[in-house]
Amino acid sequence: MEHILELKEVSKAYRKSDFKLDKVSFRLPYGAIMGFVGENGAGKTTTIDCILNTIRKDGGDILLFGKEMTDEDKAMKENIGIVYDGDNFPDYLNPMRLSDIMGGLYKQWDNGLFLDYLKRFNLPGKKKIKTFSRGMTMKLAIAAALAHRPKLLILDEATSGLDPVMRDEILEVFLEFVQEEEHSILLSSHITSDLEKIADYITFIHEGRIILTASKNELAYEYGIMRCRESQFKEMDKEDVVAFRKRDFQTDVLTADTKRARSKYRDVVIDRVSIDEIMVMLVKGERI
Amino acid sequence: MKGLMKNNFYAALSSARVFSAIMLLLGIFVAAMDNVIPSLLIGYILSVIMGFSANGVFALDKENASRWRKYKMTAPVSRKQIVGSYFINLLLCLLTGIIFAGIFTYLSVSIHGFPFDRSTDVLNLFSVGISISLFMGAVFFPLFYLGGDEIVEAAFLVISLFSAIGIVMGIISLLNRFFGPKMTVEEIILGACILIVSSAAVFAVSYPLCVAIFRKKEY
Repeated sequence: MEHILELKEVSKAYRKSDFKLDKVSFRLPYGAIMGFVGENGAGKTTTIDCILNTIRKDGGDILLFGKEMTDEDKAMKENIGIVYDGDNFPDYLNPMRLSDIMGGLYKQWDNGLFLDYLKRFNLPGKKKIKTFSRGMTMKLAIAAALAHRPKLLILDEATSGLDPVMRDEILEVFLEFVQEEEHSILLSSHITSDLEKIADYITFIHEGRIILTASKNELAYEYGIMRCRESQFKEMDKEDVVAFRKRDFQTDVLTADTKRARSKYRDVVIDRVSIDEIMVMLVKGERI
Repeated sequence: MKGLMKNNFYAALSSARVFSAIMLLLGIFVAAMDNVIPSLLIGYILSVIMGFSANGVFALDKENASRWRKYKMTAPVSRKQIVGSYFINLLLCLLTGIIFAGIFTYLSVSIHGFPFDRSTDVLNLFSVGISISLFMGAVFFPLFYLGGDEIVEAAFLVISLFSAIGIVMGIISLLNRFFGPKMTVEEIILGACILIVSSAAVFAVSYPLCVAIFRKKEY
């Protein structure tokens, strides 16, 4: 068992909308952080909901720790920490009461660890959650998710809406979490700068389909954008083009093998590419 | 399950605090007042029993403002346990209402004497309050799970409460027709038992129905 999470051709359609997950497949290895990237409405949350069984998939397999998870699978749920975007907990609670509740839900709940996180995040223990700022509620959710000592952390847009300092602080916590070999994180976000800092793998989803899944190093060192003229573009091999975008006087071409492209197309400028640019190219660009 | 119960308790506590204080003051007022005309005591018994039950049910609304409903489903509890915790919470709130009603009825009777024609009248009042509460829960919970987020829970509560009152009135009408106008003590006790048993049975049947609905729901 090499992967903590594995999705094989997962599909999900809704009766009341045209949106569907179309054979979503990706694998998250142990000890790794995967950034799950896509524009709003691309299917990130639907995929996470399928993983967590809050919605039912129509087809495919989802293996967590090598097994399909059922509603009754409490031991497996103990090992999964969740952080949703926004208010995760009812506003009538305060962190101490939340700890009391979580202690009754999770056998592995570590109140000492939770208090440590409250201290680290400067969160008051007895103040009601309804008085918390967005940043505070997110920190509280992360503290609660980590305090039951999960092996897999799933975060759905958990860093969106936070200021850069707070995001940096939280990303540091995530990096500490994956120091343990059997810990992994699936982090859905459209803030790609966060993922550039911490992710080992990036999976792109667009209109319910996985359009690319690769290691961050592969994206950083092997992917590139060729800036070429129309005539140069026409002469290119199809296999060198992942996606392309025509601009006024040039065509931007996303390639998956910069080294080969450099040797083949010596008069073309090839730039390094950010995750943001890859996403834009994959989403807005055309395919051959 | 313990965590779910604690959450339900905190949710109920947050909404029941004011209600409890009002009922406490009202109870003291009822006990202090002369009970020659027992309408105040009757009103108190019914409102405190049904009020606490409604409060327990309405506490669900508070957690819907956050993602807690979805979050809970990812915790090591089954959907069956989540539904079960709501049912138990209602029973605990009902019990609180019964205790409040019991204490202040006892105080009123101790201070001013027994205000009713027959001792079974008190039993009838309690059985009506308990039945309405149980029927209300039995109607409310399936509606709550069927309705989804887009329908205001308060509307369901009103529908459930009026349905429960209607059902109880219907059963009482049938009992009156069956037993005739001059009911014996045994018939009155039997009638009260029928009310409680029928409402408890419907409440019990509502539980697996809710579990079945909830298992099909997606959040």
